[in-house]
Amino acid sequence: MGDVVIRVEGAGIRFRRNRRGRRSFKDLFAGSNRRARPNEFWALRGVDVEVRAGEAIGVVGRNGQGKSTLLKLVAGVMLPDEGRVDVIGGVAPLIEITGGFVDDLTVRENVHLTAGLHGMTRAEIDERYDEIIDFAELRESVDTPYKHLSSGMKVRLAFSVISRLEEPILLVDEVLAVGDKAFRDKCYQRIDELLAGGRTLFFVSHNERDLTRFCTRGLYLDKGLLQLDGPIEGVLAAYNRDYGSPS
Amino acid sequence: MPLSADAGGMPLALCTVTLASPSRPPRTPARVYRQTLWLLTSRDLRVRYSTSFLGYVWSVLDPLVMAVIYWFVFTQIVDRSIGADPYIVFLLAGLLPWTWFNGAIGDSTRAFIKDAKLVRSTRLPRSVWVARIVLSKGIEFVLAIPVVIAFAVIYGAEPTWGVLWLPLAILLQATLILGLGLMIAPLVVFFRDLERAVKLVLRFLFYASPIIYGLTDLPDGLEAWMAFNPLSGIFSLYRASFFPDQVEPFAVVVAAIMSLVILGAGILVFRRMVRAVLKEI
Repeated sequence: MGDVVIRVEGAGIRFRRNRRGRRSFKDLFAGSNRRARPNEFWALRGVDVEVRAGEAIGVVGRNGQGKSTLLKLVAGVMLPDEGRVDVIGGVAPLIEITGGFVDDLTVRENVHLTAGLHGMTRAEIDERYDEIIDFAELRESVDTPYKHLSSGMKVRLAFSVISRLEEPILLVDEVLAVGDKAFRDKCYQRIDELLAGGRTLFFVSHNERDLTRFCTRGLYLDKGLLQLDGPIEGVLAAYNRDYGSPS
Repeated sequence: MPLSADAGGMPLALCTVTLASPSRPPRTPARVYRQTLWLLTSRDLRVRYSTSFLGYVWSVLDPLVMAVIYWFVFTQIVDRSIGADPYIVFLLAGLLPWTWFNGAIGDSTRAFIKDAKLVRSTRLPRSVWVARIVLSKGIEFVLAIPVVIAFAVIYGAEPTWGVLWLPLAILLQATLILGLGLMIAPLVVFFRDLERAVKLVLRFLFYASPIIYGLTDLPDGLEAWMAFNPLSGIFSLYRASFFPDQVEPFAVVVAAIMSLVILGAGILVFRRMVRAVLKEI
């Protein structure tokens, strides 16, 4: 077993129930108040997880039970209202992967921009540039503005860039549902490679086949609480027992 | 560098398997910040210059057209008793920094909204969303300085030692804009109305700042009050390059203190609100 790379301790985060809830300046500045106000609910609370290097973890739960929120806390794009989330080493977040791309810039410029924002140095980008373009199968379009790519091409490019990041932790949020079958297979293969290379995987999905394929350990989130943390088969069984299995 | 050693001779299939790399040198927060800031700033500038045919000209044209309008009104129509000669140089020395201020504050109302997807999906130092606006607009301002020089040459305005104030003026203005931006950017996420309010205040501020007139043109009672608009002191420093008697030490000191206080307040507001902003975005 490797070192602990993700440590979540008593993490909780709360959201407003309705968007139109009354907002006052006082609310905004009441920083880390522990109590949820009446129009707020805890999307996650009291979550304790330790992940060691090289583990592949699948997060299971129904919609709105905090799966993506947990992933975002680990990715550092949201901050917990209580408890703490420590991530040792960088993360490669496959969350809204096309988010950083700019319509008016070319594919080439976008690769440099996005890879750079995710922490790659210029030398590293230059070194991997060809690999990224070849994987995305966009060799002919490197000087095309990003907005002229088809949506499939966009996702291919984005996956290609993020999955080439030299980060020890890979976060995947159901992005694999997109793209044609051939590319999906390529993505799966790439994730397999990364796992074989010792990366840590944090995987959110509804797809049981994907979960059992990649993950060894599962986290079952329900009602904002971590209900079960164990081998993926057991976690899936518990989830299916609670909510009925489609298969 | 984990790959550089074996990327040379090995077949490609092997190269694609990159190992998790504990050997990667950790990057300091300051370096991450600098790299991110630079990437986003150059992205902003590149987008602006690659999408429009005239690129650079547009960033200069706006203050230039305004300068010509005011020059025409105040020298050809109205008998002017304000400012200094040559009036067009006097105008430009105030209008160009105003364009920076106006553009950066205006854009900071959309700092998070415009890049919401990126904010949601990428872990970046968050104040960078404001800082990059200050920087990219600041670079446009610096690039526009040759326009003033050109007019100074044409109209024979003599540069003075006051030009040495220029770095201080730029520094103070950047501090002020950053502070205001750090307050406005997160607040707009919750109070969308603020976007319009800011536009209105900016329009008011244009006339309430010494741009088409100088601080010294104001009646005595008003002059002291005007110093509490930090732009007064800052713009007087810019004008010192050609019109050293425009500098009002009291206004400059007030501007410096206020800029620092506003930056402090901005950092405080930003820190307290960023958690809520990330949820809302």
